[in-house]
This record gives sequence, structure tokens and C-alpha cells, in this order.
Amino acid sequence: MAARTRSTISLHKLGVFCGLAAAVWLGSAEAPTKLVNEGFSPFLISMGMVMGAFVARWSLPTMLKGTGFVFTDLREKPHLIVWALLGGMLWAVANTLTIFAVRNVGLAIAFPLWNTNSLVGLFWGCLLFKELRGSRARDWAKVIGGASAIVGGAAVLALATTQSTSAPGRAVVGIIAALGAGVLLGTMYIPYRKAYISGMNPLSFVTIFTFGEVGTMLVLGLVFYGGAHPLLAELHRARTMLFWPFLGGFCWVVGDLFQQYAAKYIGISRGIPLSNTNQLWGLAWGALVFGEFVGLAMGAKLLIVAGSTIMIAGAVSISMAAPPPSELENWNGAMRRECDRYALDTGTVAAVVSGDDPLADRKHTRRWWEVLIMVAAVGVFIWLAVGTRAQHIYVNIPWMLVLIAGTIVPLVLVGTLLWRRTRFS
Amino acid sequence: MTKKAMLVCILTDVHLWVPVIVLILGTTLLMTLR
Repeated sequence: MAARTRSTISLHKLGVFCGLAAAVWLGSAEAPTKLVNEGFSPFLISMGMVMGAFVARWSLPTMLKGTGFVFTDLREKPHLIVWALLGGMLWAVANTLTIFAVRNVGLAIAFPLWNTNSLVGLFWGCLLFKELRGSRARDWAKVIGGASAIVGGAAVLALATTQSTSAPGRAVVGIIAALGAGVLLGTMYIPYRKAYISGMNPLSFVTIFTFGEVGTMLVLGLVFYGGAHPLLAELHRARTMLFWPFLGGFCWVVGDLFQQYAAKYIGISRGIPLSNTNQLWGLAWGALVFGEFVGLAMGAKLLIVAGSTIMIAGAVSISMAAPPPSELENWNGAMRRECDRYALDTGTVAAVVSGDDPLADRKHTRRWWEVLIMVAAVGVFIWLAVGTRAQHIYVNIPWMLVLIAGTIVPLVLVGTLLWRRTRFS
Repeated sequence: MTKKAMLVCILTDVHLWVPVIVLILGTTLLMTLR
């Protein structure tokens, strides 16, 4: 009965919509962090984001599917816990490297450098998961050309928005850090893709991913601050602003969830470049809400228009490169490899990969601790919000409302589409 | 699949070692830059 009410939208279209929705949310996640005045270390802001991400990665899957579903899914593919943890660890190290990059060369130069992660992901997708193999030459051109255009557009935007340069001696270190972050982030998509061609649900994956993320951030925090006491003292000092990066981390997870579904349904070589157009949304927040580009020269404004157009063209190019049957056969080959290696049921995994998870329509009893998880998540939000100091920063309220609406609309539309087509499987 | 067999499969999987090596290199880079 439930199957009859399912949407029949193609998985390629669904994946493209997920990639674009991911870009909106990943870009908007930067906005709350802009509300933090200077004076706090970027590491602390990153830690606040990870705390928000941890809460989101537990509360959202609990709300959408329930812990019963998540635990059943994990029990069926226990080997993937290793990859979920590994993905979180890669993200934590990459994120810390980006902080070094931003400190030394600024966001404008660092951003396009770590945006190369989509090219790294494309390489791994092709090499390890047979993505694009068996595809026509024009599909290769659309995907590689589109991904390159997105990186190129990011570089043009960076050029236009560069406001200041750092000390030249530190620039090399910053560039190395940004490129290193790009390689780590691009490699992080290996665990993503492996999980999804094995039939794992993205919601189950992120529930474990976050332990790798938080654990590694804690270890790095202890190393950087020289122990638990200095770290706790810094966190205490930052208490009045922690709400903002926490909110940013929460929004980031919503974007990452869409990104995970994009990686599942159109692969990492197509999904990740699409979600990397998030720079456009970060730019929109900066320009329209925070007035960052007031007084910018006409040349710089033209560069922004050119860079944005190049990025959009790249996204359109990838959106139009649906995998042909010959490529899908290679995707299935990669899936069968996982099934043979880890004794998974090929029929079930194939159903999950095509968005028809048999578990999805089964009723899962809600547990009492799910209420506790939700109450704790809301409680942490309220606790952080109370006592948060107002930040003295220019905000254009009408544009902020427009962009908030522009963020909510894709959440509702693509979320509904995901539910109707896959039941969030 | 027994736990031991699964462990062997995990440890001999190239999908494990590529990210692990990149993680080790990335962490080394981070510590060097610090």
C-alpha cells in the first residue's frame, strides 16, 4: 500500500536536488559563525560547531526514523561502523587544517583551495567505486567540466572577495594546510560512498560518524590547549558566544544529511561538486545580510557575477549528466563487491540502493529514551541561548528573512521529496 | 560471517587503508604546522 503512494521521481533528479539543498544549508551554516565577534580562537568556534553537530546527528535521526531503525541498520552492517568513525576523524583533522589555512591566507584564498576536495572525491569515486566508468565521453565531459567549473568559479569569487593579504612567510603554510584539508575532505567521501553502496542508511551513518568527529576534536583540543583544564577554561570564557557556532553546526548537519543522500543517489563524483556550490550561499549571506561588500569596486562586483555564473554553469552541467545504463552496471559491480566481501544480501542491498529499503516501511517501536534525546537536544539549545551576549554586528533584517525563507523552502521541498520517494532510506 | 572473518575482510580492504593513510598523513601535517 505504502509503495503505491511513493513518488516516482528518478534517483538522479532526487540526488541533484539533495546536492543543491545541501549547498544551501552548508552555505547558511556559516552565517551564525559570522555573528561571533573577534577575540575567540577559530579552534574554539570549530569546537562549538562540532558540539552543535553532535546534538543534531543524534536528534535528527531519532526524530526522523527512531533509534530502533538506526540500531537495526547498524546491526545488519556492523563492519561499516569502522568507516563511519574513520569519516568523522578525517573531517575533524580536515576542519582543523582549514582553521590554519584561514588564519594564514584568509578565507578567500583558502576556500577555493579546499574546494578541490570535489576533484579528489571525483578521483576516488572513479578509482574505487567505478563511478563514471562505462559512461559516454559527453558525460565525462559534463561531470569533470562541471566540477572544474565549480572549483574555477570558487577561485574567481575568492579573487573578487580578497580584502587583505597575510604575511607572505605564512602564506605557504596556509596554502599547504588548505590543500591538505582538500585531500582529507575528498577522501572522507570514500567512507560515505562505501556505506551507501552497502545499503546503509545515511541517518545511521551520521549517528556513528559523529563519535569519530567529537572524539578527534577532543583529542586535538587537549593537545592544542595542553590539557583538560585550559580547554575547559577557554570553553567557559566562550560561554556567551557558543550558541552561534552551535547553531551553525546544527545547520551544517542538515546540509551534510542532504549531501549524504546526494552521495548515495548520484555518487560522490556528481553529488559533492553540487554541494560545493555552498560558497554561493555563503557569499549571499555575506553580501546581502552582513553588508560585507559595501564599497566594493565595480571590477570586483563583475568578478563576483562571473564567478557565480561559472559555478552555476558547472552545477547545471553535472545535473544534466545522468549516468547511462552502462555506468549503472559498474555501480552495481561495486555494490556486488561489498555484498560478496561482507556476506550481505545482494537483493536487499540493491533495493536499499535504489531507494526502496524494506526496513523503511516497517513499523519501529518508539523507545522512551528517544524522548530524553529530544528533550536533551532542546535543553542544550535553550541553555546556550540563555545568557548569550548580543553581538554588535550589522544585519540587514529584510534580506535575512528572505535568505532564511530561501533556506527553509528547499528543506521542506527536498525533505518531502526524499520522504515520498525513499522514506528517508 | 564470524567476527574473525569480518575483521580479516576489514583489515584487507583497500577502502580502509586509503583513508587511514590519508588520515595519518593529514594528522602529521597538522602536527607539523602547529
